[in-house]
Amino acid sequence: MKDINMVIEICGSAGEGTISAGEILSRFMSSQGFEIMSFDSYPAEIRGFGKCVAHTRISSDLIYSSGKLADVLIALNDNHAISQLPSLKENGMLIYDSQPPKPHKEDKSVVGWAKPGMISYGIPLNMLAHKAAGNSRGMNMVALGALAALFHVNKQGFTDSIKTRYSKKKQIVIDSNVNSFLEGYNWTKENIKKTDSYSFEGIKLPQKKEKLIITGNQLVAQAALDANLAFYAGYPITPATKIMEILSKELPKHGGTLLQTEDEIAAIGAVIGAGYGGKRAMTATSGPGFALMTEFTGLSVMAEVPAVIINSQRAGPSTGMPTKTEQSDFNSAIFGGTGDCPRIVLAPTDTKSCYEAIVLALYLAEKYQTLVVVLLDFFLSNSIKNIEIPQKPSPEYLKANIAPNIDDLKDYQRYKLTENGISPRAIPGTPGGIFFSTGLEHNEYGRPDYSQSCHLKMTQKRFKKFNCVLSEAPKPEISVTGKSEFDIGVISWGSSAGAAHEAVMSAQKQGINASSFSSMMISPFPEKALIEFSNKCEKILIPELNFSGQFAKFATSILKRPVEKLNFITGRPMASEDILQKIRDM
Amino acid sequence: METIKSEYLDEKLVAVKNLDFLQYRSKDLPTWCPGCGYFGIVDALYRACRELELKHEDIVTVSGIGCSGRTPIFINSYGFHTLHGRSIPVATGLKLAREDLTVFAVAGDGDALGIGGGHLPHVARKNINITFLLFDNSIYGLTKGQSSSTTPYEMKTNSHPMGNPDTPLNPVKLALAYGASFVARGYAGNPQGLKDIIKKAIQHKGFSFIHILTPCVTFDKENMTWKNLKENVYDLNLRKEKKNMETAMRLAENEPYGTGIFFQDKKRLHYQEILKKMNS
Repeated sequence: MKDINMVIEICGSAGEGTISAGEILSRFMSSQGFEIMSFDSYPAEIRGFGKCVAHTRISSDLIYSSGKLADVLIALNDNHAISQLPSLKENGMLIYDSQPPKPHKEDKSVVGWAKPGMISYGIPLNMLAHKAAGNSRGMNMVALGALAALFHVNKQGFTDSIKTRYSKKKQIVIDSNVNSFLEGYNWTKENIKKTDSYSFEGIKLPQKKEKLIITGNQLVAQAALDANLAFYAGYPITPATKIMEILSKELPKHGGTLLQTEDEIAAIGAVIGAGYGGKRAMTATSGPGFALMTEFTGLSVMAEVPAVIINSQRAGPSTGMPTKTEQSDFNSAIFGGTGDCPRIVLAPTDTKSCYEAIVLALYLAEKYQTLVVVLLDFFLSNSIKNIEIPQKPSPEYLKANIAPNIDDLKDYQRYKLTENGISPRAIPGTPGGIFFSTGLEHNEYGRPDYSQSCHLKMTQKRFKKFNCVLSEAPKPEISVTGKSEFDIGVISWGSSAGAAHEAVMSAQKQGINASSFSSMMISPFPEKALIEFSNKCEKILIPELNFSGQFAKFATSILKRPVEKLNFITGRPMASEDILQKIRDM
Repeated sequence: METIKSEYLDEKLVAVKNLDFLQYRSKDLPTWCPGCGYFGIVDALYRACRELELKHEDIVTVSGIGCSGRTPIFINSYGFHTLHGRSIPVATGLKLAREDLTVFAVAGDGDALGIGGGHLPHVARKNINITFLLFDNSIYGLTKGQSSSTTPYEMKTNSHPMGNPDTPLNPVKLALAYGASFVARGYAGNPQGLKDIIKKAIQHKGFSFIHILTPCVTFDKENMTWKNLKENVYDLNLRKEKKNMETAMRLAENEPYGTGIFFQDKKRLHYQEILKKMNS
């Protein structure tokens, strides 16, 4: 049996159906039992003539990263496709329009730029679209038809996926798309002599499980609903807006309330207000919004009020590059704000773990009465992955507040010093539980107190709470090998972890003795496990998507040994190929 | 020591006047300067709560930073002293999550119109069902006498020793323009009158805005002094007028010392009612 592991890119202008074609391709491949991961890039402008690329990786094995170079490039627009050609493998396949409505000017035809080793198939995309539906809108579907014919895939399954995609549209839209697909399919079968070796024929995959095709943002919203979110406040910002849009529709159905605020300061303020009222509340933002929220993060920690902030990172600083992915808010997430301000920070490493991270964040915030920051990034928020349907959280994760008992209420001390630092928390409406909260340093009754002894014991209390957090968090993921010592250890975090894991697996196959380590728990960090792992490794490599190596510096302060860094700020997700190259060079 | 003093005071006062509204006062001794207008404001607040027989545990007072920020400490109920200018968003989130609570948001002139000025239009247009008390002494008191958003033009302050170059804001006019469904002005020197306004504000379903004239006895010796206020503040005796926006705007423009309810729209739905209607 052959394995499939390929990347297909569709490149066109905004508004040409590039992204929809990619979505249909992913949906179809998933329905056939393949693993898929797709990540689109598009211009910041809503519509216009900007370049769009739908990038989809398809594999019969598990996928951990989106893949760097493409095996197949479908050019819906020659001009844009020329600039995308460097991402096509040297022996890759190019599908282009052989009869464009106007002949291309010299040097403007993508096929003219194809390298000698590439295989090019000219399909009259525009002409066939006109034949099928009377206009050029169906070019994207013609191209998918051509692809289906070349790859010998299940034609019926493909048309079903098209019908599903457009099921909410008028019948004529569905028909035009299906007809365009079939036109492309039939024409290619009759006219193209296949010279490449790609084929899906005879591929048998294990029993298909029902899978969700989902983005990180969609999964975050789902997890929040499943984890009893009662209140959401937010302000639109790329790439986090989708979370608010989904919850706006779904949260009221679950009895919750959504508030679109005037700015991010009001959003986190309202979240803290709802948290003070004893309800589970969260907000989602990106770097600039997170910066505005900083003062309130300190209040959450100081007044011990639960709050969850999702920061889907994009390239910064300042407004930066809103549609480009980066991991450069590490420092601001764990160190941002004033004073000695401990907080919990989680960074899911793939789409699937976004679910777990949100359930955990809402639980930890409530139980430890503190701020929890969840770091996503543009790639995790927007990339599409097919995953198994996540298990709903068990009941103990849904109700975590430690309430005062009758004895506590006799002389209620909201900030009582306890063994683990967690003080029983009364919710407004509780008779006898009346208390005062403040962002000022305060004594056990919550009354302002600036004495040295009070500031010291309360600071200690706020830090002490976190001693138990690690025991409730998922353990770091360490790649399993038969060996106990390694030449190279790759330590990664967030969305780079998948690429790191994949690079290490490839390196092992090539005979390199490597291992990988990643942790969803960023603060508090599992330092002991990190040191143990590091002690087994001759050399350490830390790849991440920021310029200065923010996590590498943090890890070095724990490990107290030099590490190799690998940093990219290309706006693209981490590629396992680049990490593998670095491992081989080390 | 403080506790003993406070209890002693309590006993004396209760014994003398049988003022059982003082049950809404906490045991903490206020940190405000002697003679501060804020004593009159919290007095009115205690009386309003007493007359409406609100349960202590069902009241939450949310404050910002400044002299007014300390208000929740002196009320025998739940209280949250938040950030400078942010009592409105916190109170909004709290009320939307806990409709059953009576939520007061308090702010000074710096809080409400300076640093937090951006929240006021939105809480008003959303018609969040909270009661907002603006303690306006037209000066930054806690930081010792700098110009605020309501300091009169040319008044000398510690930040503007040559005179304030900025034109002051008119809080009542702003609240009306922002679309608040209940707009009133009260006076710290008339706790009984202020109590009546606060009671109506609590009963109002929607965002209620109360502008309170109050002196800063320490840092304002020329504008909002007890003497000036006593001479100028008067009851507008508004009855029918409060349904008419045009009249309210004119009064807001021309009567900076007039007290009473300038405007009230009883028919407008508040935010939770709107959401319920839309999601049903």
